[in-house]
Amino acid sequence: MRVLIVEDEKSLADILKKGLEEEGYAVDVAYDGEDGLFMAENEPSDIVILDIMLPVIDGITILKSMRKAGVKTPVLMLTARDAVTDKVAGLDSGADDYLTKPFSFEELLARMRALLRRNTEVNSSVIVIGDLAIDTAAHEVTRGGKAVVLSAREYTLLEYMAMNRNTVLSRTSLTEHLYDRDFDLDSNVIDVFINRIRNKIDRRHGTKLIHTVRGAGYMLKG
Amino acid sequence: MFTSIKAKIIIFHITVLFSILSALGIFLYLSLDRIVYDAIDSSLLSKAKTLTTLINTDVEDETEFKRSDEVRWEYSSPKSTSYFQIRRIDGFTLEKSPSLKGSELPYSANEERTDFKTIRVNGALARLVDFHAPAEITYAAKNGDQGVVIQCAEDIGNQVDLLQRYRLVLSLSILSIMIISALGGLMISKKALAPVKDISGIIDKISESNLSERINLEYVPKELRILASSFNHTFDRLERAFSRQRQFAADASHELRTPLSVILSQSEVTLRRDRTAGEYREALAAVGRAARMMSDTVRKLLTLARLGADKVDLQIEHIRLVEIIRESVKLLTPLADRNGISITVSADAHAVVRGDRAALLELFGNLIDNAITYNIPRGNVDISAEEENGIIVATIRDTGIGISGENLDKVFDRFYRVDKSRSKERDGAGLGLSICNEIAKLHGGKIEIASTLGTGTTVSVFLKEGRSGMER
Repeated sequence: MRVLIVEDEKSLADILKKGLEEEGYAVDVAYDGEDGLFMAENEPSDIVILDIMLPVIDGITILKSMRKAGVKTPVLMLTARDAVTDKVAGLDSGADDYLTKPFSFEELLARMRALLRRNTEVNSSVIVIGDLAIDTAAHEVTRGGKAVVLSAREYTLLEYMAMNRNTVLSRTSLTEHLYDRDFDLDSNVIDVFINRIRNKIDRRHGTKLIHTVRGAGYMLKG
Repeated sequence: MFTSIKAKIIIFHITVLFSILSALGIFLYLSLDRIVYDAIDSSLLSKAKTLTTLINTDVEDETEFKRSDEVRWEYSSPKSTSYFQIRRIDGFTLEKSPSLKGSELPYSANEERTDFKTIRVNGALARLVDFHAPAEITYAAKNGDQGVVIQCAEDIGNQVDLLQRYRLVLSLSILSIMIISALGGLMISKKALAPVKDISGIIDKISESNLSERINLEYVPKELRILASSFNHTFDRLERAFSRQRQFAADASHELRTPLSVILSQSEVTLRRDRTAGEYREALAAVGRAARMMSDTVRKLLTLARLGADKVDLQIEHIRLVEIIRESVKLLTPLADRNGISITVSADAHAVVRGDRAALLELFGNLIDNAITYNIPRGNVDISAEEENGIIVATIRDTGIGISGENLDKVFDRFYRVDKSRSKERDGAGLGLSICNEIAKLHGGKIEIASTLGTGTTVSVFLKEGRSGMER
């Protein structure tokens, strides 16, 4: 899952990036509104964490501009003021949720998970595909009731595929959503990870969940 | 008892009106009474005088009365209400009119003058005159030493009735005028007090949420304008105090939330797993920076709140400005050395201001700090102070990055940072110049800023000359 953080307070943006990366998210950071707007409209983010008070272009303007450009990425707005009017203005401009500063990192994670679920058929923190269960809150995976141990990258890839199950995902699309903009897209790292995940969840099972679609990419299907 | 203005007005109004109308009524009644009785009396007197001429003076020993037809008709008819009785001075009746029938006109002897009184004849009210006939008639009537008194009376029932009716009409008129005017007074006072009701309606509507509402003086009657405008002034003060509080709370919350988020996120993210000592050090350093930023913001906010209060406890004394400048420069020398900035001070040693030492130190400390911080490496800060026409002008000139025209208007706004990304790395909360401005205002002075982008900024502080009254 790829996250864009638009936050001018550098120390806050940096610690959020660190925390989210440790959670398996690919994180891009913009420190002002101008960069934020550009990245929101041009990077394939799965979710945008947007501060309202920003230098150069404020968060509300970014939101409106994004939505006008047809970018439907879920936006979690951060506000330093808890005035109702601010929240209303944010939500009306196209934000999907808001958090008032100061916020708990755990709450941020939970809200992000909820927003990421919103555009999928998943409606709880546990995604079930056949006998495969993925607990997105605890990052725990079981197949047929047995725990499967995955690395952070493997888990992230599996979760992304589970969120977009029954959809063919290209290698490029998978890379874009799992790595931040500093990652070199030409790498065949996705194939490596897919193989590792297959070894862990599909081997020793009759029904294969991960399917290769020739010339197109991969698909998780129960 | 009567706390209602309306009741007071009406009671006062009715009392005054009642007194005036009663006095007028009594005067009118008495005047008419006088006129009526004067008319009766003069007619009686002339009748008495006519009767006198009818006394026969030719007959000896006896007084004889010549009764003309005219007299007979007037005094003899059974329905006549005119009476006469001629007596000797001792009261002996010489003659009396048939109209008296059996009764007599009352008489008291020994009164030597013409006398009028109101009596009753046969039960009816009548007016009586006792007229002492002139001496020649008395003598001519051969009455010896005895004088003759002609008593003449007339029924005054009609006149008394008239007066009574007049009294009734007067009383009723006064009563109805009183009632009408009481109602009128009630209406007038209601109308007069209506604006008060309006004003209190507006005042009721003014609450914490809409303190900006005011009583429109144009629609307030002249008499209530003083009241309304003092209400407005009170609301002005309240609104200022409230908005200061609200602004302070909003500013404080906004400025404190971000570093708080940093502290919370740092500690939460760091504690999610075991880390190396280096990572912990890094996290603690970030938490420390955020906490220092918060503490600086809190200190400045409290300073501003204190300065913005209506009454600031300033310790006013005569201070040589050069001392303040030297002390500020001394405190900031380490910062200047770090940034390679050289500071020159050329202040008039005799420039004296009246002010609070701590506040002025804060003022110049902030300004010189800015001049150092927003300077180019190895730049200069020139500080001068001199007196000009009773005003002390202190100038702090830097060779720094300058401020653009659009930003120049906003530098005194709270939390305004010219270059946000840059100043946030310092711990500036954008409060320094607001504090300076408040301090200058408290000293009856002002601050002016001129700047050219890329060349430098000149800040001028204008303070009142404080030498007067100081021993040289």
